[in-house]
Amino acid sequence: MKKSGFVVLLMVLLVGLCGAADAAAKDILIVADQYDATTMDPIAHNDVPSSRVCYELYDTLVFLDNEGNVSPGLAESWEFLSGTEYKFNLRKGVKFHNGEEMKAADVRYSMMRATTDAGAKIATYSQNVKDVEVVDDYTVIVHLKKIDYSFFSSLAHSWGSVINEKATEAAGDSYGMNPVGTGPFKLVSWQKGNKYILERFEDYWGPKPKYKTLEVRSVPEPTSRTIALETGDADIAFPIVHNDLKRIEENENLVLFRRPQNSTAYIGFNVTKKPFDDVNVRQAIYAALDIVGIQAASYRGVGKVPGTLIPSAVKYSINDEIPPHVQDVEKAKKMLADAGVKDLKLEIWTNERKERVDSATIVQAQLDEIGIKSEIKVLEWGAYLNGLMEKKHDLFILGWVSTVPDPNFAVSGLLETTAIGASNYTFTSDPKLDEMLDKGRSLPDGDERAAIYKEMQLYINAQLPMIYLHNDESIAGTQKNVKGFAPRSNEIHSFRGVYFE
Amino acid sequence: MILYIVRRILFLIPVLIGVAFCVFTLLYLTPGDPARMVLGEMATESAIQEFRRKEGMDKPFLIQFGNYIYKAVTKGDIGSSYITKRPVMNEIMATFPSTLKLAAFAIVIAVIIGLPCGILSAIKQYSIFDTLTMIFAMIGLSMPVFWLGLLLILLFSVYLRWLPPSGFDTFKAMILPSLALSAQSISMITRMTRSSMLEVVRADYIRTARAKGQKESVIIWVHALHNALIPIVTLCGLQFGQLLAGAILTESIFAVPGVGRLMVESIKMRDYPVVQGGVLFVAVAFSLVNLLVDLLYAYIDPRIKAQYR
Repeated sequence: MKKSGFVVLLMVLLVGLCGAADAAAKDILIVADQYDATTMDPIAHNDVPSSRVCYELYDTLVFLDNEGNVSPGLAESWEFLSGTEYKFNLRKGVKFHNGEEMKAADVRYSMMRATTDAGAKIATYSQNVKDVEVVDDYTVIVHLKKIDYSFFSSLAHSWGSVINEKATEAAGDSYGMNPVGTGPFKLVSWQKGNKYILERFEDYWGPKPKYKTLEVRSVPEPTSRTIALETGDADIAFPIVHNDLKRIEENENLVLFRRPQNSTAYIGFNVTKKPFDDVNVRQAIYAALDIVGIQAASYRGVGKVPGTLIPSAVKYSINDEIPPHVQDVEKAKKMLADAGVKDLKLEIWTNERKERVDSATIVQAQLDEIGIKSEIKVLEWGAYLNGLMEKKHDLFILGWVSTVPDPNFAVSGLLETTAIGASNYTFTSDPKLDEMLDKGRSLPDGDERAAIYKEMQLYINAQLPMIYLHNDESIAGTQKNVKGFAPRSNEIHSFRGVYFE
Repeated sequence: MILYIVRRILFLIPVLIGVAFCVFTLLYLTPGDPARMVLGEMATESAIQEFRRKEGMDKPFLIQFGNYIYKAVTKGDIGSSYITKRPVMNEIMATFPSTLKLAAFAIVIAVIIGLPCGILSAIKQYSIFDTLTMIFAMIGLSMPVFWLGLLLILLFSVYLRWLPPSGFDTFKAMILPSLALSAQSISMITRMTRSSMLEVVRADYIRTARAKGQKESVIIWVHALHNALIPIVTLCGLQFGQLLAGAILTESIFAVPGVGRLMVESIKMRDYPVVQGGVLFVAVAFSLVNLLVDLLYAYIDPRIKAQYR
């Protein structure tokens, strides 16, 4: 008893020594994110936390709003000269954080730099750039290697950020820690792995943030993020896990935001391996699974079962128009017998994410019902990707996020022949699908383009290289007095327009 | 004595080369291609080849290891992070202060609480105090730190609102993580002190001291404790060394940007230079703490001092 008394005494003394924090006027927004940014160089990353900070530090030629609509950014207006030539008229008087004016040469420098090995991580977006022509200080023409209208909305992704040539060259390899952009915030300090602090850029060309300081902390433990909200330690926290949803909903000082995310988790087949090269076998396995039940049990009421590969918030998606899948064990057995498959044994691979392991366990039990014996292999991320690369897998559970909300990016990275050796782990190589993807890219937005993607989604569903498991949600919690914030479907949440009430 | 210290420090060199070799081999054998992990799924084949060439990954294993040791010894260069491109030493030094503070704070708490509890338990063996202390010590030893950490946050941050639940910038924010981390050390030090003291208080010279009428407090604090200290100091040193190696669970729960988290993140991202550098750094820190403990022995026990040459 003396011991616990001593501890309490010690705590009281320590707390007393520290004093209470003063409650000054609210001029700082504190955000609790899961991970820290890896770099603040807009072309040296392909992860969401880094894209988020780049979104505050830099501007892109065009902006995308929460609904996926394009609006002017650093470019006041633009013109499609042809399918491979986009002309941009730049805004005048835009200042970089180092005081220099943003001009056409900076746009050229930024975009050409992205096509070098420095931009290997975002090569998907930049590889089509042939050249950027500087017409005058405020006009550029982007020349593409081949027609690709999906390129235009990708310019709003952080890879399209305009950087300052002088600052970038001066910083060299350390540019990722010393960013200079034209965005509404500039970097004050960055304690890697802990937090970064940004400050309002007083010379910003657009609407200035209503608060002075933005502090983003990395809090990897989900419960700790929720607690940070409850104690008022953080104004905004995300992602919120399903265990904590109720706690935030029921807390009258907090607000919970839920929004469908542009992501799809799927159970993929290695279509180069027998018998999964047979579409009937794939369809038989699909028929044996109660996907709706699996999703509900594993993800506990968050998200939904996708109907197609293109998530609902991406244009031309028919995700919500497909009727829900119904399990049919007898049909599955018959299809399997018709395909001549007997005594099938397979492996289901997944990484350590709990929801995926849970899903694999239920899939295993349901496959057992149609006489398929399976083994679950849970692998660490690096080893997992390596194994997939080596084509050793049968079934595997993985996910895909369309950071750029264009249907092309939802499909091409997963199923196009050119993505084999990169992120096409089903090893699908289908000339008909490749052709449709090419056509989709070659058309400007409109009915014709919409028709192509609708046909494509149905075609993929019939071919079934993967069974869709889950469309996730972007879930964030905020204090009640935080206004002007809403999570975005691509997870690149923005804090520019946030204010306190 | 100085000769002894110099010799001990020289002994570090083969130890470090051995550690470096083990880490190098383990990482070499780990599945997962660093080039692909670092550059991401969208990278082109040419970019990946270029990365391998630039980082020397296209060379045979022994040459890679030889180059690493050569650069480390001649230039003090243990590489740069694949991800941030910053020198590994900068990466480690950015996180080490937090870990050092956390470890130091935890070990101080452990000694302040563990030592008196252990002593009191020993001199009042089988009393209620002794029983309760041993029960608490057993609980402290068995309680997983991630659970204890959350309980502490619930009590002190959510209900009492005294302390912040995460972060590591202020003195106030350091209390909870240190307390959570020290629980196991408190228990171990308490138990070790108790058993060590129990052995000593039955020794003949203690009886002699009592017989000649020495005051009880002097007997306990001067005669007994002094002689019981060696195993306790050893344990404290070991504990401190382990804490320095990073306390990944505590660091995750309380969002402390320490070495443990850096290492785990680097392993996940296959940022091999940081992993290698980090392990080497921890090995050096551990060895130095051990050296310090050995030197403390000399201070505590003149017989040991006589052996140091």
